[in-house]
Amino acid sequence: TVSPDFVFTKAQYDAVGNVITGLQGTMQYTTSYNDVASWGSKYIFNQGTAPYTVFTNAYPNEINEIGEVIRGLEKDPAQVNKLAIAKIWRVYSFSKITDLYGDIPYSQAALGYTKSIFKPTYDAQKDIYADMLSELEKAIALFDPTKSSFGAADLVYGGDTTKWKKFAYSLMLRMGMRMTKPDMALAETWVKKAIAGSLITDDADMARITYLSSGQIINQNPLAYWMLNSDYLKADGVSNPEGGKYYDTFINYLKKTNDPRLPVLSVVYVNGKPSTDVSIQKGMPANIPNTKPADFVTYSEPNQNTILKLNSPMLILSNAEVNFYLAEAAVRGWYSAKSAATLYDQAIKAAMRQWALYGADGVIPQASIDTYAAANVLITSATMAKQLEQIYTQFWVSIFPNSQEVFLNWRRTGYPALIPNNYVGNITGGKIFRRMLYPATEENLNKENYNSAVSRQGENNFLTPIWLDKQ
Amino acid sequence: QTISGKVTNAGDGASLPGVTIVEKGSTKGTVTDSDGNYSINLSSPQATVIFSYIGFVAQEVSAAGRSTINVSLKEDATQLGEVVVTALGIAKDKKALGYSVTEVKGAEFTQARENNVANALSGKIAGVNATGLSTGPGGSSRIIIRGNGSLTGDNQPLYVINGMPIDNTVPGGSATPNGGQGNVDRGDGIAGINPDDIESISVLKGGTAAALYGSRAANGVILITTKKGKAQRGIGVEYNSTFTMENAAVFPDWQYEYGQGDGAAKPTTQAQGIAWGRRSWGAKIDGSDFVAADGLTHPYSAQKNNIKNFYQTGKTFTNTLAFTGGNEKVNYRFSVADLDAKGILPTNTYNRKTGNLNINGAFGEKIALEALAQYTLETGHNKTGAGDALGNPNWTPYMIGNTSDIRWLSPGYDASGNEIAWNDADIASNSYFVVNKYKQDDTKNRFIGQLGLTYKILKNLSVKGTVSRDFYNYNYTYVLPTGTRYIPNGQYNQLKTDVSETNTMLTANYNTTFGHFGLSALAGMNQRSFNYNQLNLFGSTFTIPYFYSSTNLATTSTVPLNQHTRTNSVFGSVDLDYKGVAFLTMTGRQDWFSTLSPKNNTIFYPSVGGSFVLSQAIQLPRLIDYAKVRASWAQVGGATPDPYVVNLTYSMVPSSGQPLQNVTTNTVVNGGLTNSDLKPLTSTTFEVGVDLQFLNKRLGLDLTYYNRATTNDIVQTSTSPTSGYNSVYLNVGKLNNRGIEALVTVNPIRTSNFGWNLSYNVAYNDSKVIKLADGISSMQMATSVGNWAYINSIEGRSYGTIVGTTRVRDANGNIVYDPTTGFAQKSALQELGKGVPPLTMGLTNEFRYKNFSLNILLDGKFGNKVFSVMEVYANRMGKLKRTLDGRENGLTVTGVTAKGDVYTNKVAKENLRTYYDNDKNYTDLFLHDGSFVKLRQVIFSYNIPVSTLKFVRLQSASVSFVARNLLTLYKQTDNFDPEQSFTNSSNQGFESLGLPRTRSYGVNLIVKF
Repeated sequence: TVSPDFVFTKAQYDAVGNVITGLQGTMQYTTSYNDVASWGSKYIFNQGTAPYTVFTNAYPNEINEIGEVIRGLEKDPAQVNKLAIAKIWRVYSFSKITDLYGDIPYSQAALGYTKSIFKPTYDAQKDIYADMLSELEKAIALFDPTKSSFGAADLVYGGDTTKWKKFAYSLMLRMGMRMTKPDMALAETWVKKAIAGSLITDDADMARITYLSSGQIINQNPLAYWMLNSDYLKADGVSNPEGGKYYDTFINYLKKTNDPRLPVLSVVYVNGKPSTDVSIQKGMPANIPNTKPADFVTYSEPNQNTILKLNSPMLILSNAEVNFYLAEAAVRGWYSAKSAATLYDQAIKAAMRQWALYGADGVIPQASIDTYAAANVLITSATMAKQLEQIYTQFWVSIFPNSQEVFLNWRRTGYPALIPNNYVGNITGGKIFRRMLYPATEENLNKENYNSAVSRQGENNFLTPIWLDKQ
Repeated sequence: QTISGKVTNAGDGASLPGVTIVEKGSTKGTVTDSDGNYSINLSSPQATVIFSYIGFVAQEVSAAGRSTINVSLKEDATQLGEVVVTALGIAKDKKALGYSVTEVKGAEFTQARENNVANALSGKIAGVNATGLSTGPGGSSRIIIRGNGSLTGDNQPLYVINGMPIDNTVPGGSATPNGGQGNVDRGDGIAGINPDDIESISVLKGGTAAALYGSRAANGVILITTKKGKAQRGIGVEYNSTFTMENAAVFPDWQYEYGQGDGAAKPTTQAQGIAWGRRSWGAKIDGSDFVAADGLTHPYSAQKNNIKNFYQTGKTFTNTLAFTGGNEKVNYRFSVADLDAKGILPTNTYNRKTGNLNINGAFGEKIALEALAQYTLETGHNKTGAGDALGNPNWTPYMIGNTSDIRWLSPGYDASGNEIAWNDADIASNSYFVVNKYKQDDTKNRFIGQLGLTYKILKNLSVKGTVSRDFYNYNYTYVLPTGTRYIPNGQYNQLKTDVSETNTMLTANYNTTFGHFGLSALAGMNQRSFNYNQLNLFGSTFTIPYFYSSTNLATTSTVPLNQHTRTNSVFGSVDLDYKGVAFLTMTGRQDWFSTLSPKNNTIFYPSVGGSFVLSQAIQLPRLIDYAKVRASWAQVGGATPDPYVVNLTYSMVPSSGQPLQNVTTNTVVNGGLTNSDLKPLTSTTFEVGVDLQFLNKRLGLDLTYYNRATTNDIVQTSTSPTSGYNSVYLNVGKLNNRGIEALVTVNPIRTSNFGWNLSYNVAYNDSKVIKLADGISSMQMATSVGNWAYINSIEGRSYGTIVGTTRVRDANGNIVYDPTTGFAQKSALQELGKGVPPLTMGLTNEFRYKNFSLNILLDGKFGNKVFSVMEVYANRMGKLKRTLDGRENGLTVTGVTAKGDVYTNKVAKENLRTYYDNDKNYTDLFLHDGSFVKLRQVIFSYNIPVSTLKFVRLQSASVSFVARNLLTLYKQTDNFDPEQSFTNSSNQGFESLGLPRTRSYGVNLIVKF
């Protein structure tokens, strides 16, 4: 028999862990000399399923699971808080897919068991967004403080309905901002609606999952687990099976801005020992043609004591992120309670503080935070474009390692102004990806609906602009 | 009173071995030895002795006090004389059968032996498609009779020993096209049978023959009759010994003009030697110096023998010792056998020990007993992997740069035991490291026991109860060692499988005659219980490095799997015989399946068949000695073999934190969706045939036409994951297999000193998917590594169609290029060919001169395609000859754009690698015709005239030179063998870096005391 609590916990792990790791390269955080491993930073795609994984993993896991949870809770009015939380989680889970792929199966998704639908139609992203936002509103309205909620089964908030409301409004803010390109007016409507609600503006309200350092793999930080196992297990700076290192763009920027996060994130191995000495940090160029460079050991790689810790958290939606969006809202004139400069300052400081969640080595002294913030203030006299550039360049270094969120805001605003890597044999003509690919198997298994989605949206390649990406 | 003598053929005077001699009215009996001699102890000097032999007129002779009686038997012109074993182990006169049955004698398997006896059927029987796998000793087999009957089942026949079914599962499942670590062929059930214990094998091809075995017989039945003891003086001893050697026989035809390297440059440092270890994109091969992955300077010269140099000579030594004996009451045969094999893959070994005991006895007039006990112990070490690169030992010999000698990479590990890099991708393991440091061991303990008791109630009415149990316990461990470059802390996988198949059967037999009619009736019931219990332990990161135990792992998870299936049945049959000229057989069976929902878990299915011996009924032209026509119609019902696919279930997911639960996604359902509406499938076969003998039986022709339709097939079909499930169980429409089988036998020369027999069989099977489910016109059955090709079943097409992409061309045949990327446009998915050959044939020539004999078997299959994963990689690595274009001055490609403008693109020679790599998007470039003709088997034997060697008291002795897969006379694949299959699952049509196919040759010695 089904126990909705247990399935819900699984759905939380699955949705949060479902990421396209190649976007770490696309956002120029990491790269590799190896063509296959660095597909994201070289815009080549040799083999494998890397650009499909979020799509193929989501439906049989978090999407089907959250559907089972909702099916199990729906009929019992006493479970209305759990139901509301599950519905919010469903929106979050779907947004992660559609943001990357565009049109996706939505209204007919995961109905194989209940409705025998084995070939779901692809809904237009515009309609998906409209429905997801209305679902969020409806879910928020369901909360009833007199009824019970999830307890420990909710890894994010332990069932706290007040915090879930804040998450729902913050997700609405994120999704509203997402629409500035295709529909500015609609974006404004939803951003204002979100601001009128309650948002995550306190570190304690941040949505995150905390993991364990050992035991079953599912209980360990999936991003740290992936990085560690693909490259950094040996911790010697040389034996990196997939040839991974930090990308030079990222390290150069942190060095240039004297970012106190540099020693938190990055090490260089000297005589087999990790060194956080800022002066020797050096990112690897992304255009190395598939041959391990002789000086491979001298490049920076992730710090074992912070970003690679298996019991580090995954931040789903942070205080910093909300403040960056609010800063943009202020710049656009949609929000006036605080100035854009203040919100920008709050975002930077919150982003610095959050590294303390990774343990003692992640703690950045308040004095360093203040110094950095003082040196990086938002120039509100500049053009809107310049201000957005400042906000989303800072967003890039602040929201690391959540490369999907950074990628989506880069696609929308054009910032940070990354210089594409024109690698020999790339398949995008030297342009950065605009979306991920539908799985090749969809063409075989769901042909008619796949074909109609492709004919509506454009070819299934990395550059086709999806609705969110069309002005 | 003992009499002795010799039995000869009245026609040519040749001695007749194997003639049955019984004293009339008693149970005393014996058979003649290989020289036709016999000796029998009679109860009275005046007793009457009956001499009978298949195909000859039996003779009754009164002993009349004589001590020597020589008899010459006449061939029976009317009774062609073959008694064959049919369903439930019942021996029937072949002329009474309404369907086609082929019997192969045990001797054909014991001389030129295959480790897996099923593979030896290749080319021998029309309509039987035996595919040997290139997975080394201990591997499994794939036998398909009259085409694939189900879209997703394994489609293999049911194996039956002495009337009772045995298990043929592969523990842990078959290897998959793109599986990773531990993706090995763990061997099937038939692999555990020792060919020397086999008296004969009957292949029941059609549904009629199989109706009595129920659902699992829908794909035909292979009936194995084991050797039995016989009444004789003293103990007969037979010793059979075979030693064979095998070598890789198929070598890729790589380019050797441009050597190892990249960007048209050769490696000059060790770093480059490693980075470019598997790339042959270097400079022109000129004999100058270069630095290889080992850091040493070598001449830049072609290294063409990497396959020969890596693989070793495989050796198999088989010894069987059998003892037979008995008296009028009890006969026994006991054999022990040892097969010891060393594969061509270094460190790969396989050992099989078998003990087989067969007892037949009679207790008084009324009770007879037969019992069989077999114990098999199989141990394997380092079986080859296939599919993906990690841990696949076949990667390096194929992919290493063409100027490097693979032996430079030996032993593959450094002083601490860690893997040494040889290329840029750590996932492509160093093969020497794999064979030397990976540890893969499996042990299978198997016991087959059968006990049958017959009680004669009346002279013509008997009941028989039989219990049989086939049980095995399998243990497999796979160690991916510490120090593996890709997974430095190692992984561990352990599989423990207990499988049992228990059958209980009770039958009653009644025979009678009235007037010109003979009647025999049978009624029975059967219960089959099948249990599959498995524990799969997977763990990673050895806490103490290099110490390989399941207790030394940082993380482990254990997945249990317990399947219990039961089928209850009642069945009956009636055989009518009119004057030995016309025959009619009817059967019926009702099954109840535990795997389906009670609302539709039962099915009744009937069969009817008849034959008419024309040559006995009417006067035919003198030319025709024998003519028989036959026809039959049969249904077989079946249920999916997997239990627990009816209701949706939930499973707990191992968690170190909060409890986790999800919809069950264990290995059975494989992320698949259950279906409570499943009903049994039906397979209906209609066949007609004719059996003719001409010219004093020098020419024979057996023709069969069949039409086999499967409806409501239960399939697990892949679905779009967006449905929430990766697959679903469905009853789908209809699959049809029609075909013609012909067997021609010619006997041009037949003298006492010289004989020549020629036998040619050919079969054409046309399979067609008539209908799938509503809204589904195409089903995905398998995908290759990288989704470069698919195997689909498509409405209106044959089973197993290979689907993939090609380069788009315009109306004038010009290739259409995408100017953004510079690459040819990839087409939509399209059908590219059949994965299963429709046409199969075999030709056997047998020559006998005095004591010498020579047997030559040619075997061919035609009309299928094979997609080569290896070639996709070889293309990327610059090893295919087609990658030579542009090496000197760059490659200029011309075509058109999508708008129709002329398009030209110049690819610099330095960039050819990435350019050619993109070809993986075009499936048809790596798809080849899989047709072949092979010299499958040669046996050259000498029967040692033991009568001249009185001092050793031998009954008979023979020595043979044997060879298998000697030559490929015709093939269309340059770089691999068309039979290079790596799995016995239904995913046929892909080649995926398995072991190279081999040629074997050796010596066989048979001595009887």
